[in-house]
Amino acid sequence: MHAEAIESIRFTMISPDTIKRMSIAKLIVPDTYNEDGYPIDGGLVDQRLGVIDPGLKCKTCGGRVKTCPGHFGHLELVRPVIHPEYAKTIYLLLQSTCQQCHRLLLTDTQVGDMKSAIKVFVGKEDEAEGATIDLTSLAAANTTRDKEILIKKLKSVKKCPYCQAAQRKLKLERPTSFYIEGSRMKADEIRDWLARVPDNDLKLIGIDPVATRPEWFVLTTLLVPPVNVRPSITLESGERSEDDLTHKLVDIMRINQRLEQDIDAGAPQIIIDDLWELLQYHVTSYFNNETPGVPVARHRSTRPLKTLAQRLKGKEGRLRYYLSGKRVNFSARTVVSADANISINEVGVPTRLAENLTVPVYVTLWNIEEAKKLLQRTEYPVIINVITKEGLRKRVTEVTREELLKGIEPGQVLERQLIDGDIALFNRQPTLHRMSIMAHKVRVLPGKTLRINASATTPYNADFDGDEMNLHVPQSLEAQAEARYLMQPKDQLLSPRHGGPIMFAEEDEIIGAFFLTKDDAYFNKDDATEMLAGVGVYELPKPEKNGVYSGKAIFSMILPEGFNFEGKTLDGAEVSIKDGKLLKGIVDERLVGNGGGTLLLKIFEDIGSDAAVDFLSRLTKMTLIVSVKKGITISVKDYYMPDNVEKERVAIVKDVEAKAGALIEKYKQKKLDPLPGYTRRETLEIIVMAQLEEARHMAQKLLSKSIDLDNRAYLMAKLKARGTILNLVMTSVFLGQQSIRGKRPSRGYNRRVLPYFRRGDPNPSAKGFIKSSFSDGLSPTEFYMHAMGARDSSMTKSLVTAVSGYLQRRLINAMQDFYADKNGAVKDASGALIQTIYGGDGIDPIRERVMKDKAKS
Amino acid sequence: MAKSSDDSFKVATGEAVGVIAAQSIGEPGTQMVLRSFHTAGISSVVTTTGLPRILEIVDARKRPKFPVMEVKPIKSIEKNYEKVRGIWRKIEEVKMSSLIRDFKEDLKTGTLLLNLDKEKMSLYEVTAGTVASKLSKNESLTVSVEESDVIKVKFKGKTTAQTRTTFVNTINANILGVKGIIKANINQNEDGTFVIKTSGSNLEEVMEIDGVDKWNIYSNDMFEVLKFYGIEAARNLIANELQEVIKEEGFSISFRHISLVADAMTYTGTIRSIGRHGVAGDKESVFARAAYEETIKHFTNASVFGEEDKLKGVSENILIGKQIGLGTGMIKLAIKKEDLARIKKKEAKE
Repeated sequence: MHAEAIESIRFTMISPDTIKRMSIAKLIVPDTYNEDGYPIDGGLVDQRLGVIDPGLKCKTCGGRVKTCPGHFGHLELVRPVIHPEYAKTIYLLLQSTCQQCHRLLLTDTQVGDMKSAIKVFVGKEDEAEGATIDLTSLAAANTTRDKEILIKKLKSVKKCPYCQAAQRKLKLERPTSFYIEGSRMKADEIRDWLARVPDNDLKLIGIDPVATRPEWFVLTTLLVPPVNVRPSITLESGERSEDDLTHKLVDIMRINQRLEQDIDAGAPQIIIDDLWELLQYHVTSYFNNETPGVPVARHRSTRPLKTLAQRLKGKEGRLRYYLSGKRVNFSARTVVSADANISINEVGVPTRLAENLTVPVYVTLWNIEEAKKLLQRTEYPVIINVITKEGLRKRVTEVTREELLKGIEPGQVLERQLIDGDIALFNRQPTLHRMSIMAHKVRVLPGKTLRINASATTPYNADFDGDEMNLHVPQSLEAQAEARYLMQPKDQLLSPRHGGPIMFAEEDEIIGAFFLTKDDAYFNKDDATEMLAGVGVYELPKPEKNGVYSGKAIFSMILPEGFNFEGKTLDGAEVSIKDGKLLKGIVDERLVGNGGGTLLLKIFEDIGSDAAVDFLSRLTKMTLIVSVKKGITISVKDYYMPDNVEKERVAIVKDVEAKAGALIEKYKQKKLDPLPGYTRRETLEIIVMAQLEEARHMAQKLLSKSIDLDNRAYLMAKLKARGTILNLVMTSVFLGQQSIRGKRPSRGYNRRVLPYFRRGDPNPSAKGFIKSSFSDGLSPTEFYMHAMGARDSSMTKSLVTAVSGYLQRRLINAMQDFYADKNGAVKDASGALIQTIYGGDGIDPIRERVMKDKAKS
Repeated sequence: MAKSSDDSFKVATGEAVGVIAAQSIGEPGTQMVLRSFHTAGISSVVTTTGLPRILEIVDARKRPKFPVMEVKPIKSIEKNYEKVRGIWRKIEEVKMSSLIRDFKEDLKTGTLLLNLDKEKMSLYEVTAGTVASKLSKNESLTVSVEESDVIKVKFKGKTTAQTRTTFVNTINANILGVKGIIKANINQNEDGTFVIKTSGSNLEEVMEIDGVDKWNIYSNDMFEVLKFYGIEAARNLIANELQEVIKEEGFSISFRHISLVADAMTYTGTIRSIGRHGVAGDKESVFARAAYEETIKHFTNASVFGEEDKLKGVSENILIGKQIGLGTGMIKLAIKKEDLARIKKKEAKE
């Protein structure tokens, strides 16, 4: 089957004639099934509209459930009804046309002005010169805003320039009632009016009369969607439950029928008008059950009905959920865990997944023998399905294998189980940036979890506390090639956000690197051999005089040959690598970690991405071996502070209390100048808060002074491997000021936060300053304060994700069509020029830093 | 040595630079604080920071919550403190209320007695006379200087309520400086030059003050900048402000991403917000707009004007299941006509 690609889609209004042409049946019975449970002819589930019961045949096309596409029906409304979604458009049209002669309220000169305006906008002279001009081009050229301006102008016209009729006051009462000078306009009057607006006048305001005649905004016939758009479901009790749309259509037809009978019977006008109004209501809620000003139509169970607009709208609507949201096969999802023994470029796939995921093998003249061999296999990896030339998927079983083997021919596709070396896309939600999906090479491993190298977690923002991730196996050769050449972690080592590395050594690896490369690190031959062999290096560096090997020498073995580097550690000490040898300095977080990864970047710049990834993989593995041998342990002891800390702590607390007291005193004497935009009271709070928060900084300084790297918790924080000095302060010194919405806790009871304080207590602890540390334990009041702060921060966190998630969606929606063209200019889908040259210089942000670094050297 | 003209550093043709920029700004957003105000030191000006400020910019709000300006004196006096102080005095707004110790009002007779604060008066270098003449600009008031520190204002309104409002307005009247400038500080740079930083922004009046370098004023109010300095200035402002906020939050984002956002907001010549009433809502494609927000509105409007969706953007092509035209999807394979004919001939033979 060959399908032409869609080139463009045009939106128009559907005319009553088209509706009748499309319709297969005029529906007349406002009901669904008869007593025997059989569809009523001319009813809403008329069998000519399609079938939903398996076994039945469509009376129009003869197809069954799976083959019949469904057919439209229609119903004729006895009295016309306003289409609720077009009420505003109708209002504008009524305002811009004469109430007498229905011409557009524009003088010939004004029309002439407009024509010349088109000349300027569109530049199509012949179009502007012609007697009837296609004003849709004006609409396209200068968008809604100009149309609005034009219509505004039309609204203010008091007298028709053609028939001189005075224009009376029009009013739209939402959603669908129109008034002229206070008296109600009926839908048929409106329809007549709109029908008399000449085509040429419509063109002037951008409406193409061939596509859309305004009288169609007032409905006379209603298109009834096929039954497979609104299928009924059979409940367990055997009872049928109709779709919301069918319910609404039944309502419309019932009222329509009653209206017809009453008119025929010559019922009083009031009764007819009431029914007409009711018909309008049902049609309104059939199109949109959330129309403002209209009571919501409900199901028997009081659940609001989901009508046409609701089906399309929003996150779970047709557009976003079913059309933009694509679903796929050949994917898997399970828990992830860490594996230091696989490369950053690999993903560990559990056998059970590998056995069920498949990769297509295209049978050609040239590989038919290999294909046969594959198909003969009875043990992993086997062929699961054979896709014939007709596109039928046939399962390979012991019974069918022989037959399929006989029938094998070029053009068939074999679906082979996943094996080592296949490429797969790996993803973790939320997919915030492009590095949230990367291509890894498959490594089939025993176990039940997907595995990745810990250094590959940062771009995914994954950890192993139960995170699940998705795996997708690309099927087409194009997709596989794209994955292999563009999407592997080695190609994504640098972030397009800032041009620096986004994968690096972490935690234990940083500690290992420290113990490996510090100046007094020496290892015996056994350890050195183990560390090197672990990363695939089978020779030893030159030993020191006493037969031991220096850590720096061992580390140098994984550096690329002839590599040179000059850099600085976290504390600014120099690091020097010459000719592939680490001569001076410690390899720390600033070199290989999140603190910039300068060493990694240099390897990337000088040698390339493969070398950088290789280095990172080996570094992490080696440093982990070091960590096992010379790793650290923390214990409660690390959180006992020397005596002077206790003394200093009391001093700090006293100090900030005094400062806060002084500020309050200053405030009371009215000597405190308010910050711009704030009252005196607010200013006091802001300054006091800042003062009290300062206590933590003072405590951090105190700790840095009082303890050294022998304290392992401090060592970890200092190396930026895990934890911060603030963590230590909170466990061993004091928790400090708690905050609620960035301010000190202030509400609760009358002029006090908790009933354990005096009203207006100026002491900082009455407003959430915690003097105890976690190891001391918190006093009851402090505990409450802390709980309040914790609650607040968890609330804000969930709020930030919502706000920033929406920001992200908006940004992406606004800029998703922007691309760099071959000259480096940024354009969007409509061809608009956003930047003449991307970023002012046309440089790729990924290579921006590399370029700058190279230019320096 | 590598040069910037080196081709290996150029963006790849078809690169989806917009999405990369959006992700680069959106991704760190998750880690930003929602806290809005920020005090850098105690005497300096207050501005919005963090995510709220980013939203403010990206939403193209008509006025920032905390407008600020940075006013530079012209070159010849930039190191002269006294002269700069002279400018400062013309900038910072002084209201009647900050010049008085207290006041007495008599609504029945319609008199208001203002007791001036001598300290403040000398600080701002004004006398009761100048204050009185300022106040009497409002012609409905009868202003007289009773003593050196007492001013009497007479006003007879139709109702006491009207009198009351007039008196409140009198107390809030502008005596000195530029309207809307709540506070101004003189800061000295490392090179000895002075700048005036203000809370509140009013370019129109400040740029006309003698001694102010009007080509070097900075304001964080994008619409004001648009009005007085044009769209390019507004674009630079948007980019700068975004860059500053992000830097302050401790993230590094390449300036090209930020500048692309700024350009997306301004390339039409006006400032448009990122969102349904701006860039995303003005898109050409009906589907792209409908798939974003306000689905029904976009479909019905499209049918009224007979709009045509040319299916060129990303959203539309995802919707209809076609490959998108960016990145690797931009590349098409072509075959020479004669080659195609040859292949077809060959196939026909077989």
